[in-house]
Amino acid sequence: MSTNHNRPLSEVEIRVKALESLLVEKGLIDPAAVDALIDAYEHKIGPRNGAKVVARAWTDPDYKQRLLVDGTKAIAELGFSGVQGEDMVVIENTPQVHNVLVCTLCSCYPWPTLGLPPVWYKSAPYRSRVVSEPRGVLQEFGLELADSVQVRVWDSTAELRYMVLPERPAGTEGWTEDALAELVTRDAMIGVTKVVVPGK
Amino acid sequence: MAISPEQALAAAAAGASARVAQAMTPRFNVGDHVMVSNINPPGHTRMPRYIRGKRGVIARDHGVFIFPDTYAAGRGERPQHVYSVRFTSHELWGTHGRANDELFVDVWDDYMERA
Repeated sequence: MSTNHNRPLSEVEIRVKALESLLVEKGLIDPAAVDALIDAYEHKIGPRNGAKVVARAWTDPDYKQRLLVDGTKAIAELGFSGVQGEDMVVIENTPQVHNVLVCTLCSCYPWPTLGLPPVWYKSAPYRSRVVSEPRGVLQEFGLELADSVQVRVWDSTAELRYMVLPERPAGTEGWTEDALAELVTRDAMIGVTKVVVPGK
Repeated sequence: MAISPEQALAAAAAGASARVAQAMTPRFNVGDHVMVSNINPPGHTRMPRYIRGKRGVIARDHGVFIFPDTYAAGRGERPQHVYSVRFTSHELWGTHGRANDELFVDVWDDYMERA
């Protein structure tokens, strides 16, 4: 952890340091194990994985079908699996239906495809408000939905982890899978925004 | 033995599913109308308060999973089906709900009754 001498450590930082030193002192973990996990979730496991899944689904109708029927298996085809992604469900946004994800009880989130959850996803205001006034929350993310679009909120209260398959934006016909993956954002796979083509 | 970097990464890559490989007859079928029980257990539960006593429809059967309420208390796995249950916005939020909008919540078998 980098140290900034200009400010005191936050309560969370102090707690994390205390927990880590206890685990090390008691011989339960090698400090290098913590570094390895931090490195993995900072550099290898994150929303670029989910973006590859989305781009594949946009370009391969058979893959998309498999993804919507058995998300866990189809995501594993691309090499993404593991803790907090053991049992995946992928739900599709359409012009008629907009899906958005939450874990009202805590912070459940599909780590292998989206990485660790953003702070706002874990915050009490998001968790309480997105279920009771989803359209208001989506507006705050800059997403205005027509009254005719149905909003579906998915609360991952159990062991399933969800990911939204966003709509492929218009004007991307003929794009390569890699170019499409570049467009896909974490927030679009949570369902708080749509995928857009920059400059359009 | 202290957990090594290799062990930590292997554990993260392997995961640990709470799914139970045990065939059980589901109590509910997709399309069944259900009511979430108004239970308020003193210990761990994974049923959010905002669906207690509310009516919904079984949308998906996710299969059989460990029941956290008993497992967390050291009272066994008590495996059972988990379903995605669809609630209308109006059912959960009354007059502040929005016609046509819906919420899907994952609910264990033990949390529900037939409606």
